[in-house]
Amino acid sequence: MDPKDKERVLVEVVQRVFDHFADPRTVEQALFDTIYHERRRIESGRGNGDGAGAAFYDRIYREGARASPERHRELLKDIITAFAEEVAGHFDPRVYALATKTIPTALLALLNTLSPLKLVTGGLGNLDDCFRIGGETGAFKAAASHGTTILVPTHSSHLDSILAGYAIYRLGFPPFVYGAGLNLFNNKLIGFFMHNLGAYKVDRRKKAELYKDVLKTYAGCTMELGYHNLFFPGGTRTRSGAVEQKLKLGLLGMGLDAYVHNLMARKPRPDVFIVPCTINYQLVLEAETLIEDHLKEVGKSRYIIEDDEFSRPRRVLDFVRQLFSLDSRIHLVVSRPLDVFGNDVDDEGRSLDHRGRPVDRTRYVMQGGAPAFDDQRDQEYTRELAASVVRAFHRDTVLNSTHLVSHAVFGWLKDRNPGTDLYRLLRTGGAEESIPLADAYARVERSLAGLRARADGGAVRLDESLTAKDIVALVNEALAHLRSYHRQPALERRGDRLFHIDRNLLLYYQNRVAGVA
Amino acid sequence: MARPLDILVVGGGSWGTALASILAGLGRKVRLCVRRPEQADEINTLHTNGRYLPGAALPQNLSATADLAGSVAEAAVILVVVPSKHFRTTARAVGERAAGDQIIVHATKGIEIETFKRMSEVLREETSVLKIGVLSGPNLAKEIVAGQPAGALVASRYDEVVRTMKDLFTGPRFRLYGSRDVVGTEIAGSFKNVIALAAGAVDGMGLGNNTKSLLVTRGLSEMARFGVALGADVFTFAGLAGIGDLMVTCVSPLSRNHQVGERVGKGERLDDVLASMPYVAEGVPTTAAIHRQARKMGLELRIVSAVHACIHEGKTAREAITELMSRPAGEELGALVYK
Repeated sequence: MDPKDKERVLVEVVQRVFDHFADPRTVEQALFDTIYHERRRIESGRGNGDGAGAAFYDRIYREGARASPERHRELLKDIITAFAEEVAGHFDPRVYALATKTIPTALLALLNTLSPLKLVTGGLGNLDDCFRIGGETGAFKAAASHGTTILVPTHSSHLDSILAGYAIYRLGFPPFVYGAGLNLFNNKLIGFFMHNLGAYKVDRRKKAELYKDVLKTYAGCTMELGYHNLFFPGGTRTRSGAVEQKLKLGLLGMGLDAYVHNLMARKPRPDVFIVPCTINYQLVLEAETLIEDHLKEVGKSRYIIEDDEFSRPRRVLDFVRQLFSLDSRIHLVVSRPLDVFGNDVDDEGRSLDHRGRPVDRTRYVMQGGAPAFDDQRDQEYTRELAASVVRAFHRDTVLNSTHLVSHAVFGWLKDRNPGTDLYRLLRTGGAEESIPLADAYARVERSLAGLRARADGGAVRLDESLTAKDIVALVNEALAHLRSYHRQPALERRGDRLFHIDRNLLLYYQNRVAGVA
Repeated sequence: MARPLDILVVGGGSWGTALASILAGLGRKVRLCVRRPEQADEINTLHTNGRYLPGAALPQNLSATADLAGSVAEAAVILVVVPSKHFRTTARAVGERAAGDQIIVHATKGIEIETFKRMSEVLREETSVLKIGVLSGPNLAKEIVAGQPAGALVASRYDEVVRTMKDLFTGPRFRLYGSRDVVGTEIAGSFKNVIALAAGAVDGMGLGNNTKSLLVTRGLSEMARFGVALGADVFTFAGLAGIGDLMVTCVSPLSRNHQVGERVGKGERLDDVLASMPYVAEGVPTTAAIHRQARKMGLELRIVSAVHACIHEGKTAREAITELMSRPAGEELGALVYK
């Protein structure tokens, strides 16, 4: 972000958030609510030795306890300013130039670590073979030429941030403003690049509403200034392995907020477009931790896992090595852009209804002939948008051999153990510890026929292993993946039987199919 | 953008005409859009709608047109009141001219048979409008036109829709209540037609009030179970769109579905009954749609199955009642999930 714009954004964020508190009672409530949450965070030890923060909030508390309403307003503004300054990115064009030169080589090297000799002899493979960027990339570029875009990918792994960033670079875009969790900044190398590539810090340990307001307003202000944004609308990595069904509406709604502000300001390019995209792996780096978390508290995923595979460089390296020694593919599929109401957008930047008829989108926000906000209406508009994004996620999910074979084996397990609850089945594996290979082939074949029919209808996408390979080759590819990298194999062939060893992982990978098919 | 019309009512059947009459009576800028130009002429010159509301005098200030395309853009609110069979075609035509700042509400108590889509879903697919709602409740058109007090429910995810509709309709003889539960309101409005067929059959067979009360109450329970499984709020079924509409439609001889059921209960063939009626009885196609959908969802709806067996499988009403009474009775509200 241009340093001048950064200053403008900071001033605007502080003022807008502050303007929400016109009533003195809400000022006092917000002030002490924030102090409570922040002191609690710091005292619980999750502040990482945040001594300055402790002193800051002690001072605010002492002063606030006996201050006038006017002083409360000033103290609240101090907190908002502190939050805003903490959030803001530190984009440096010189670092960006360096990073964009370095990243492709570094990424390629990382993805080719299977043979050090290869690196030395300069025999780097083609990155495009490993990492496929596809889908509506032309429509994405067209949308960006008509307005501001917000890229909203599915989220399975911390690697998503790096891959999405690389895809943005490969597609020829300038860096996107991106809200990255603090854990990404904890890795010094990645944090350095994140910080300088437009990323702003999101500290999910901060629970105060005021902080969330600042985050959202920051994103909205950058959109208004025309900076493309990226965030994961699921809010966190999918724990179950399934494609996201429910999205967080707060940040997603900032696209509409920015659009209305732009219309009110009569900006020449007021439009904001949402671009869903899916990132699809044959193996997921953090699969074991994520599914374990999912099973621990289904539906109540923790937002912060600080000790997963991503925090261990050796695991990351091992993962990448395995992935690419197996000729694995990662697909990033860009969906057709949407307007902030969930309508499709064509290459000319026009919104289209379900029948493909052009829609005058400005009319959605008009009241008495002028653009206006209406909180309840706008929440519903954002819900419509979220539904469209979820539909795009499902349509553009790429299923591959690990998903399909896990689905077939897990289905067999459930059928052979009727009435056994899920947790028991996962723990014990039921009555039989292995599945006859012939049964597996038959089930894979049946599921594949259904998936191919759905893919032909445009309901889902299939990796080439599911479109081109025969059943035996497809199962072999899946087995090669499922027995590698993870601490123990999910599935292993011994003779003419398949042994289900890590059923949690089978559940994780099969959930991708169950969620979309 | 200010529009010349407060509201355009699309559909010149008895219910559409009754709703337009309420609005005209309250001095709203309303226009009724009908299919045939002769019908529009009759309403504009004679102030009657002889085919659908014989003998009723319509307000002098109620104007009608057959020009849908020319009218849609003029109205702030579009109220669609056409049979479910023609709903998608009408919605598509409305969608040609409607814009995002307009509101569309429907008052059609039916389901799209082939797709099991609710009318609000059809409106969403066929127009670019997002501010969509549904109006439903215990409303017999003839009583409304006669000026008798009545009330209904308007449901929408958008507060603006509910607020606007209440402002338009509220007057000394009509009360409009609000809700967010679009799914429940639409399911209740459709499902009650199936129960009305059964209630009519009970009357046709000459059975008494105990039987009818049992049927209606258990029918309500099935309706709520089905609705909740589709995402409705269970309490909607205890309101105007649920029990309210069910009471009127199962008791009143003015109800079309009740009339159909009664004649079938007396032994007439369904085809003959339907051929002799100028109206659409939504309950007949709705029964097949709900029956199919319930099976798909693994729900056992005994009354729906019994009605389906009578009108689509050739079973007599008496056989169906006997079979229903022979089934084991479980806990009365055991299958209902409150959420």
